[in-house]
Amino acid sequence: MKLKRGISLILAMLLTSSVLAAGCSATAKTTSAANDSLAKVKTAGTLILGLDSAFPPMGFMNDKNEIVGFDIDLAREVTKRMGVALKLQPIDWDSNVLELNSGNIDCIWNGFTISDERKAEVNFTDAYMQNRQVVIVRGDSGITTLADLAGKTLCLQAGSSAADALASHADFKASLKNVVELSDNVTAFMELEGKTSDAILMDEIVAAYYITQNNKDYKILDESLADEQYGVGFRLGDQSLRDEVNNQLKAMAADGTLAEISDTWFGKNVTVIK
Amino acid sequence: MNFNVSLVAMDYSSMVSFLLEGTVKAVELFFLTIVLSLPLGLLVARLRLSKIMVVQIPIKLYLLIMRGTPLILQLMFFMFFPPLVLGIPVDRFTVAVFSFTVNYAAYFAEIYRGGIESIPVGQQEAAYVLGLSPLQTFMRITLPQVVKRIIPTIANESMTLVKDTALASVIGVTELFRNAESMKATYFSVVPIAVAGLFYLIMNSVVAAFYSRVEKKLNYYKG
Amino acid sequence: MPTDEILSVSHVSKSFGELDVLKDMSLSVSRGEVVSVIGPSGSGKSTLLRVVNQLERAESGLISVCGRVLCQNDDKGHAVYADKETLKSIRLSIGLVFQSFHLFPHYSILKNITEAPVLVLKKSREEAEDTAHELLKKLGLSEKESAFPYQLSGGQQQRAAIARTLAMNPQMIFFDEPTSALDPELTGEVLKVIRSLADEHMTMVVVTHEMAFAGELSDRIIFMDQGVIIEEGAPEAVFSSDHERTRQFLQHYSK
Repeated sequence: MKLKRGISLILAMLLTSSVLAAGCSATAKTTSAANDSLAKVKTAGTLILGLDSAFPPMGFMNDKNEIVGFDIDLAREVTKRMGVALKLQPIDWDSNVLELNSGNIDCIWNGFTISDERKAEVNFTDAYMQNRQVVIVRGDSGITTLADLAGKTLCLQAGSSAADALASHADFKASLKNVVELSDNVTAFMELEGKTSDAILMDEIVAAYYITQNNKDYKILDESLADEQYGVGFRLGDQSLRDEVNNQLKAMAADGTLAEISDTWFGKNVTVIK
Repeated sequence: MNFNVSLVAMDYSSMVSFLLEGTVKAVELFFLTIVLSLPLGLLVARLRLSKIMVVQIPIKLYLLIMRGTPLILQLMFFMFFPPLVLGIPVDRFTVAVFSFTVNYAAYFAEIYRGGIESIPVGQQEAAYVLGLSPLQTFMRITLPQVVKRIIPTIANESMTLVKDTALASVIGVTELFRNAESMKATYFSVVPIAVAGLFYLIMNSVVAAFYSRVEKKLNYYKG
Repeated sequence: MPTDEILSVSHVSKSFGELDVLKDMSLSVSRGEVVSVIGPSGSGKSTLLRVVNQLERAESGLISVCGRVLCQNDDKGHAVYADKETLKSIRLSIGLVFQSFHLFPHYSILKNITEAPVLVLKKSREEAEDTAHELLKKLGLSEKESAFPYQLSGGQQQRAAIARTLAMNPQMIFFDEPTSALDPELTGEVLKVIRSLADEHMTMVVVTHEMAFAGELSDRIIFMDQGVIIEEGAPEAVFSSDHERTRQFLQHYSK
């Protein structure tokens, strides 16, 4: 997974930089692109949403094999208000920016954490949801604080924002016996269950979903490692499209629709957009 | 946090049907690739054996790149290079078929070449002396014998291809492996992965049985 | 060129890199003649046959087959070959039987014999098969027509190869050590076939180590060594030659 991410990053840098090099020279080009990104979507009549459909509860398959999720419901409401159809395009998460820049998708809307590095490549809406990187342990482990994890094994999803969060907490990382990088969170839970690992570092939103869904005796530690925010990502030049979606989300916040959808999924309003 | 979402118990029939959808995609990918890459490989093999440098050198370069770089990278290259650098939009399934085809054609080309070079040159001389044209000699004398010799190796490559279809997931093709991963996340279980493994095994058993039959049919002579 | 001269090789040279295999070689064969070519290995006997059958190219010299020029020298003394059609028609007028038979393993014996007549001479399959049946009968291979080469003994395979050559109706046949790859007890059946062809006045050039056979069958024997003809003449003459190299060579074959 790490190799794929590294390689796709190199590819992305090579390809995007050659595109940017071409695009940077003509600012007039960028301005007109900024203006017609929304128009293009309206003409096409469809907004293509790119996601990794294995990320509950934001975007995943239900037992009828339909793609559902909190992000999906938000997107459906936004596109309804925009008067366009919504097309869901499963992509490989490691190539999300490549897919965006090559035009295969119009936006990345899948529990997409906003970060400074990502802002350089992607045009984000305002943050619509808060998230934290938290530690999950077995109920009977007796671990209640980050300090209790000294000398223990922690696992996480390779290339995720959990990995980034851990990297920026050097002391904590150093106190651990071992950090195991896995391909996905389900595998991480298997390690926890099988006691091969003592703790998992992952998104609070996803953790809470898994724990509730599977009725496991896991605990989420109070201390979190990072506070993050989710946003919807657009191509750097697509200003009018980004603004439109942003405005729609704001409108939904104002008239209570956003809180309603949040309620359905989380039992309370976890959205932050105003 | 509470989730007002009903607990998702494993619905085996819908999980299996989703995996079957992915299997159909994988099978489509497999057939299209085989049908296109086997002839293409033969063409490349002939070009590789050409004495004209202008032909031989690009072909050798193509063979080196295709066999020397990971297929996964090639898939990503063909998926993202055209739209990002050339401005040409591409369809992901078409890209998958194209990428697999040019990759496997390279392997087949070298397999053909090995087979062709293993046919005793005396037979070609006998054909020549009898008056057969080079094309007649190749199509009727050389190639049928080459086919018989390379069947086990082609069977190997075909079985590898069945498994390689999983790589198409990196460019978002909803084939068996990707679908299994989605199911794993939905049901928080690795049972879908095991089922997918079984499906790959079944596909490859069919492939193996097919080539075994072909081998038997071609065993009407030795040499 | 005399009217019954069927093959004319004149001052032909051929090298493989540094090695001169044929050195300014000349020979002539008349229609209906049986000529045996003998000599030590490396003397160029096989190369001579291969050059005439267009499997190798001569560097210089004149070769003419059945009245048509295969190659001749330009003013710089380099051999220039005829055009494709002429080359093909010459190829079709002569046949070559190989030491290792080179039957097509994936064809039945019948198909080995009929394939070239059908593909090249454009005969119908029935016509080709009729001819094939006759040839198989003549060569004593009738029961083997549906068999595959791997099922035949060496002697049977060589006879089948001869049938394959005869099916093309050549005016002249070359044999490149036809029995050298056979077990001794199998050479007889092949020599018998060649003998019967001689009785039918087929023009033949036979490279061989079978001295008795060569002596009995040939009108003329040519002794080659190191790319040149040392001696040629009627068998009795060559076998009782005073020439030193000839005697040296024949010593190995004295009974």
